Amino acid sequence: MNVLDRLPSGHGDRALIAGVVCLLVGALFALTPLRVQLPSAFYVFVEVGILFVIYGILVLGLDLQYGHTGLVNFGHVVFFAVGAYATAMLSAQDTFAGIGLGYPWPLGLAVGVIAAAILGAAVSLTSIRLRGDFLAIVTLATAEIFHSVFVNFEDIFGGNVGILGVPRPIAALVADGDTRLVATLLVLGGVTLLTLAVVTRLTEAPYGRVLRAIRADELVTRSVGKSTITYKTQAFVYGAALAGLAGGLFALYNGAVAPGFFTIQVTVTIWIGMLLGGAANHRAVLAGLAIIMGLRLVSRFALGVTPISGDVFASARLIVVGLILIAVIRYRPAGIWGDPRELGVDQ
Amino acid sequence: MSLLSAEGLVKEFGGLRAIDELSVSVEEGELVGVMGPNGAGKSTFFNCVSGVVPPDDGTVTLKGTDVTGDSPESLAHRGLVRTFQNTRELETMTVRDNVRLAAPDQPGERTLPALLRSGSMTEREEAVRGRADELIEMFELDHLADEYSSNLSGGQRKLLELARTLMLDPDVLMLDEPFAGVNPTLTREIADHIRDLNENGMTIVIIEHELETLTELVDRLVVLQQGRLLVEGDPEVVLEDERVIEAYLGGDAE
Repeated sequence: MNVLDRLPSGHGDRALIAGVVCLLVGALFALTPLRVQLPSAFYVFVEVGILFVIYGILVLGLDLQYGHTGLVNFGHVVFFAVGAYATAMLSAQDTFAGIGLGYPWPLGLAVGVIAAAILGAAVSLTSIRLRGDFLAIVTLATAEIFHSVFVNFEDIFGGNVGILGVPRPIAALVADGDTRLVATLLVLGGVTLLTLAVVTRLTEAPYGRVLRAIRADELVTRSVGKSTITYKTQAFVYGAALAGLAGGLFALYNGAVAPGFFTIQVTVTIWIGMLLGGAANHRAVLAGLAIIMGLRLVSRFALGVTPISGDVFASARLIVVGLILIAVIRYRPAGIWGDPRELGVDQ
Repeated sequence: MSLLSAEGLVKEFGGLRAIDELSVSVEEGELVGVMGPNGAGKSTFFNCVSGVVPPDDGTVTLKGTDVTGDSPESLAHRGLVRTFQNTRELETMTVRDNVRLAAPDQPGERTLPALLRSGSMTEREEAVRGRADELIEMFELDHLADEYSSNLSGGQRKLLELARTLMLDPDVLMLDEPFAGVNPTLTREIADHIRDLNENGMTIVIIEHELETLTELVDRLVVLQQGRLLVEGDPEVVLEDERVIEAYLGGDAE
């Protein structure tokens, strides 16, 4: 079935409506005396849910780069981190270490997105013309360089402590803890849904057809008159900007940023989620991410009832995740919901 | 003035001169065949002219404009489109999408119109779909329109590649071995399409080993050997030329 023949699918527009509704309901909790009370067992679900919707923006950006355009980005976390640090440093009031300029947070968020996009453009300039594996290495290296910079330039980035005192706009409006968590989940979830709507529109349009053609065969795409360098750069920068947005939102939710939040583990989680669900399918990559993050959540409960130590348990969890990934690659190489013909893994 | 002309093209790979001071020109409306033994430089000549690899020396002129070293995408905009020796399909896309992709001037290929689902994009896409379906039907691929192109046979791939290039409505069409690995029936069919296109005014350059079909089809034959122009002219005359027979059969000149 042809992608454009499905137009107008309404998936994108449903996400648009759902996103606006989430934002409005979230605003309702934040701005009115309306309160909710969560059963205490629910806290952890809401907290992981908030992290999931933030990572959801990351995976949508990565999928635009890899799933649709075929660009291998092994350093996605660096754009997330740059967005977060830029937002934090611009808007932090009294940070313990590093720079905090105390500007209004919306400005910080905007700069976070722009900074990540600029870094994306810089990385594109150096390596997007080269063969795909060079981009993979450059992105991986960029992530390591920035991680090291954040840790070592203490006067600027606060070292291992990071930047503290970042404003938390939702927390500032809602004093009650339960309501605050729910409002945060709704608002950030709304942003993720809007992101889903935007990338869906982009990829369902002829624009997406060019991206998929580049993934299939760049020379053919050029020979029919498409300037593939422009498209590859755009897709990479858009993915980076989305990661920057996710980073900025994370900083404003968490109230602090530190290198520990931006390890290679984030990139790995996003990649596994994308491949597990099925690249080049927006809802599938979100579902894949939900599975991998859900697994971690379930394992937290499991730890409480098993007699083994935390260290052993953490290792066991890694083994389980690895086995699941091997099983998926063996039996569903295009991911659980991915289309093997579209991803070229149809044997 | 020739529609397309190459003057003194040189391309070296390592120490090897794949083409050496090669000059070929093509007049508007002509149907020209390029032949020569393996390694004569036919594909390199195509690659240099179509922007796939830049020539080391020499110039390429299209409609009076110097286009030496221009990218394939900019040449496509100027009206020169090519196919590839080993058919290159976008295998992870359907036959329909393969053809639709090539449509020029689609505003929906830019970010903002795509995000806003602009009217100009929808309108253009209607026209693109219509034209693509026409071409798919013309090449009798309609029963395969929704198949992924990885499922097509060798001959069907040749047809799809033709359909895709025609979507651009080129002034100059360069075909690299359009009959290679194609059965005799389909060869005749493709040859008929090529003749029709040429009769409707399209300038066509073909590389081909299938001499019988080629000589029947073309107005003029250009024979290359070791990167140089060996003979050119009327197909009947060229094929009788001693140098050509020698180049192909490896006879001794002395």
